[in-house]
Amino acid sequence: MTLQVAPEDELRAQLYRYLARFLAAPPGRADLETAAALTGSETDLGKAVRDFGQLASRTSLEQVREEYHDLFIGVGRGELLPYASYYLTGFLNEKPLAKLRNDMAALGIARDPSVKEPEDHIAALLDMMAGLITGDFGDPASLSEQKRFFETHVSSWAEHFFADLEAAKSSVLYATLGTVGRRFIEIEETAFSMS
Amino acid sequence: MKQKCDRAVADRRSFLKLAGASAVAGTAALVTGKKTAEADTTADKVDGSYKQTDHIKTYYELARF
Repeated sequence: MTLQVAPEDELRAQLYRYLARFLAAPPGRADLETAAALTGSETDLGKAVRDFGQLASRTSLEQVREEYHDLFIGVGRGELLPYASYYLTGFLNEKPLAKLRNDMAALGIARDPSVKEPEDHIAALLDMMAGLITGDFGDPASLSEQKRFFETHVSSWAEHFFADLEAAKSSVLYATLGTVGRRFIEIEETAFSMS
Repeated sequence: MKQKCDRAVADRRSFLKLAGASAVAGTAALVTGKKTAEADTTADKVDGSYKQTDHIKTYYELARF
């Protein structure tokens, strides 16, 4: 049975992908230009997106790339380590990663062989949420499957990570992206609690 | 039970409509613009990478003593 993806779910998937995009790699010129064109309505999330868009329009590609570098690559290591294992245990490649790999196998999701980072990177998890919603890995996942994945692998630490991104020393544009992420995760938590 | 479940789904829907990603305009462009943007990223990388400029050619010539 193929489940229809409702418009509000399509929008959730887009926002997951959009956040993943900025966290997976330094943004390109087109990413920054599209970010500058984003608008939002009078809600917490809408305002956060507006702030992000406005700042993006005043940020150069060099600035945002330097910011990404300082935050996630750095000399030796970046300011933040955006991995579930690190946030949940204090170490990389720990049990949360093993658990994620099991769940991925069960859902028929595999890591692209060209990717070297562990699967519990925030961008990978957000991308997986998007894929579950729109059915990139087969049929769209039911709400209860999405909820289980979200609660096990995302909501346990993503809000904490986005709060760190808001407060990081090297964050400028990424601070506003952190707010977008934190608000969105809060909304997802509330929405899942209603299902 | 079924009724309660349906109501929960409806509540979730209306909550998402009010507070959720529908409050955001423009992400679709960002996501569907994926291919172009990826091509762009490569172009950006090329900008910062090795280029054999006249200056470098002169250096090679001078270094070959």
